[in-house]
Amino acid sequence: MAMNGSTGSPSQAKSRDRGEIFQEVQEVLVDALGVDNDEVTAEATLMGDLGAESIDFLDIVFRLEKAFGIKIPREELFPAESLMNNPEFINNGKLTEVGLAELREKIPHTDLAAFENNPDINKLGDLFTVGAIVNYIDIKLNAA
Amino acid sequence: MLSNGVDTSQNGAFAEMRWIWIDKFVEFHSGESAVAVKNVTLTEEHLHDHFPGFPVMPETLMIEAMAQTSGILVGEANRFKEKVILAKVKKCVFFDYVKPGDTLKLYAKIESLAPEAASTSGKITCGEKLIAEIDLMFSHIDQNLAGKEFPKENFVFTDTFKSLLRDLPFDDGSSGALESGQD
Amino acid sequence: MRIATMAEIMRFILIDKIVSLERGRVIKTVKNVSLAEEYLADHFPTFPVLPGVLLLEGLIESASWLVREAENFAHSMILLEEARNVKYKSFVAPGAQIEYTVEAKTIEENISSFAGFGESGGEQIVEAKFGLRHFNLADENSAMAATDAIIIENMKKRWELLR
Repeated sequence: MAMNGSTGSPSQAKSRDRGEIFQEVQEVLVDALGVDNDEVTAEATLMGDLGAESIDFLDIVFRLEKAFGIKIPREELFPAESLMNNPEFINNGKLTEVGLAELREKIPHTDLAAFENNPDINKLGDLFTVGAIVNYIDIKLNAA
Repeated sequence: MLSNGVDTSQNGAFAEMRWIWIDKFVEFHSGESAVAVKNVTLTEEHLHDHFPGFPVMPETLMIEAMAQTSGILVGEANRFKEKVILAKVKKCVFFDYVKPGDTLKLYAKIESLAPEAASTSGKITCGEKLIAEIDLMFSHIDQNLAGKEFPKENFVFTDTFKSLLRDLPFDDGSSGALESGQD
Repeated sequence: MRIATMAEIMRFILIDKIVSLERGRVIKTVKNVSLAEEYLADHFPTFPVLPGVLLLEGLIESASWLVREAENFAHSMILLEEARNVKYKSFVAPGAQIEYTVEAKTIEENISSFAGFGESGGEQIVEAKFGLRHFNLADENSAMAATDAIIIENMKKRWELLR
């Protein structure tokens, strides 16, 4: 049977504990990025530590959708691009209050405390850690 | 129609086809999967360099053949409105080499499809032999690569490529897939 | 079978020069991109850029020379066995030059693995991880030993042109 991303996968979005989620996410990242298992720690940043780029984010989203049987709007998991391109959200290389509010809303799965102290857009990439993905999947699966 | 003077419209196309690595589609299930064939022949000039004395089809050209098979499948899923280009070879594995006289069958399947990108899986066989497995990712470039300028017309899906589909019966009885979405 | 003449040699070679080579470890090569390359007319009309698979071919050829030199041209056939995470980051247009850098991770008798990248004008163009396999046709069929010799002879001539 043909599988088409737009109609959704028939596999079940069963709930799993964080440990299982972490392992699956780890496997996805190892395959998508060509890194080793031991590089994929919870604190590892996708861009800085693991070398992920734009096309990789899409690859990761597709693989996570298949692995967990859920739909993942790319904007939900990796909202950076729309934020960085909007002049309302950026001022002098930092996110404005409006930008920060937007970010908080888009990625509730990520702890922003440290970032808010110095919302440098070059550091936006540091928010996207393996742990953040695990949080996101955890929330998504339990909401289902 | 094209600013560099190369006429790739319809019948004149065959004289200009230097970068087509499949010969025709034999199956096409819109938005899902497709099968194309490629004949490998000694008249293909590049074979003589790879290698001089024992010509075999370069693996990278097999990847290109699969990219064209999969790329057309992905492009057609959006009526060729997007410029779809190869962004990443996720994985490719080659089990055997291919010689002049061989006919390859390329099987491509869409695994994921989104507005900005698509992911495909595929395999190449020669008779009973599995030659390669090739998984690719395509980017719809107008939706990505912000800041880079591209010519407006769809330079990826020229009439030459679309002509590879012309004799196929479509699942739904229509030939609507050949209608270009480009202006 | 005969040794190819010079006129026939230059159609599917995706590097122009070997810039440096550290035996069995690292090789750097360059390729010039020119409108004279016929396939550019199709790829793409109005927007000529070197096809992604030919960027990968440049990396493969670079790695192949590292193998041939390290094993003293012991094998005739060197083919791509697998490639992973081949990413295309930018385009290269006519008039530009690509610099390839390929590092060997392992080179064994019949297989080798590499990590490589290509850049042009300071911009990253392509990166890949890949593995090659090397063998002689005579390994399967001893009657092919003469063919192996011809291929190796040709590759040695090509080596002289590129280095």
